[in-house]
Amino acid sequence: MMTFIPPRLRKPAIYALAGVLFAAAWLVRGGPLWWVSIMAVLGTAVGAVRLFLVGGTDTDEGARAGSRADERQQLISLRSRALACNLAAVTSFIGLTAAIAVKATWGWPFLVTFLITGYGYLLGLGNYGIAEEGTPDDADTGHQTRHPVSS
Amino acid sequence: MAPNEGRGRLRASDADREQAVEVLKAAFVHDRLAKTEFEAHVGRALASRTYAELAAVTAGIPAPPSTVQPPGTSSPMAEQRTRRKISQAELAQAVGVSRQTVILIENGRYLPSLPLAFTIARFFGQTADDMFRSSSRPASRVARWWSA
Repeated sequence: MMTFIPPRLRKPAIYALAGVLFAAAWLVRGGPLWWVSIMAVLGTAVGAVRLFLVGGTDTDEGARAGSRADERQQLISLRSRALACNLAAVTSFIGLTAAIAVKATWGWPFLVTFLITGYGYLLGLGNYGIAEEGTPDDADTGHQTRHPVSS
Repeated sequence: MAPNEGRGRLRASDADREQAVEVLKAAFVHDRLAKTEFEAHVGRALASRTYAELAAVTAGIPAPPSTVQPPGTSSPMAEQRTRRKISQAELAQAVGVSRQTVILIENGRYLPSLPLAFTIARFFGQTADDMFRSSSRPASRVARWWSA
């Protein structure tokens, strides 16, 4: 679906969609705080326009916002996301252990987050080929595989 | 007593001796020391007991140069680009990366992936080894020395 959207509009579109969903949740919830949804829509609109404008600049941030990042910029994004996931896993583990220690009932969101990050990590290992080690090319000769620099 | 004199009497650690050897290695790699001088200096550095003795070994040898390309000098990629009168933006567009990435590669602050290195080399009609030789040349000389 994303390929039908021009690259520069992709990030702003995702941002706007997330904002609209958030605003809709407040509307569905109802009650006296319905105005939060209006604020969410306004904030999202401003953010999406800002993201679109940044996407046109000749900077690293602009390349990422405009979905035209090269290998170095993609690597920066990848490392940032990996760091965010590491922090989420560590934080959820701390929260979970704290909830267990004080016999609290609010520990389950930490458990869910921890399981999702852990499962996501295993899924990544499976998808990106770490399980496909293959057979050594000298397996049929009976020779033991040796590191090339070892004597 | 000057503060430096007091420090000079302190016993140097293994890490300090290794750091001094690294300075000597860098000087050798950059032709600031002959092989015999280098070997003699390394021997003295490893035998040094105090900071003063270590300082005497590395006296007159400048600190190892930074991996960042100093201003005024240019990488093979920058040389090729300026020789052909191509701007960084034009090169970036031709090889499919951002201008910032071209700048960082030229400054030695980003090592491109193999496909990108080959693309850049092909663009200039050179080999990847020629285009990015500055990062591999010092190591090969040290390797030759150690294997001798």
